[in-house]
Amino acid sequence: MAADFAGVVGALADAGVEVIVIGGLAAQAHGSARLTQDSDFIYRRTPENIARLAATLAPHHPYLRGAPPGLPFRFDPETITRGLNFTLTTDLGDLDLLGEMIGGGTYEQLIGNTVDLSVFGRAVRVLDLPALIRAKRAAGRPKDLEAVAELEALLAESEKSD
Amino acid sequence: MLTRERARCASLRAMPADDNDDAAILRKYGIEPDPVIEAYKKHVDRTLLRQNLRRSMDERWKVLAEATRLAEEMRRAGARARGR
Repeated sequence: MAADFAGVVGALADAGVEVIVIGGLAAQAHGSARLTQDSDFIYRRTPENIARLAATLAPHHPYLRGAPPGLPFRFDPETITRGLNFTLTTDLGDLDLLGEMIGGGTYEQLIGNTVDLSVFGRAVRVLDLPALIRAKRAAGRPKDLEAVAELEALLAESEKSD
Repeated sequence: MLTRERARCASLRAMPADDNDDAAILRKYGIEPDPVIEAYKKHVDRTLLRQNLRRSMDERWKVLAEATRLAEEMRRAGARARGR
């Protein structure tokens, strides 16, 4: 199914879940022309936030992406606390929820490198462009080379247009 | 290691003026230009980026949502044509 980006961002923002938008969606916010199919977030790993995250996603049927159907998986606070990074399918599309990202760190480590943007009437915290570039570079995946090149060009174009 | 660093510096010196502007902007954010990424950068269509930068944040995400829906529909149409 096609991702409902507005739906997932709206649900998280309305419930006060502390997340940082990263990955392709963050790149899109900064002006990237590349398409993305999933929504990637860093979530804050406090008990209160984990409880809010679980409650917010529960109605959207989160399930492990790529796992066979019928597993006794529950995306509840206990599961989130025991795990760290989750790749999920939901009724709002594919969702990657990371407690920590390679080359970036945790919510607390990244919060200083974010910008608050207003999207669809909601305040959304998005990883800033230089931090996004550093994270993609640190991941060191060959498939990211084109994406990094575009983000660096975007940073230059953005600076020149200011 | 030193040879590699010299080659990298030489390749950056040989960049056209626009690329040198990019390098200065990257360094401003503590990001050192990488010759491999610079090679990929030559194929980036900057006209699309400039167009997106003129759009509001809502418009950027709406374009993404519409493009994603279109891509999904194309995938479905392809699957139907293949009889799946």
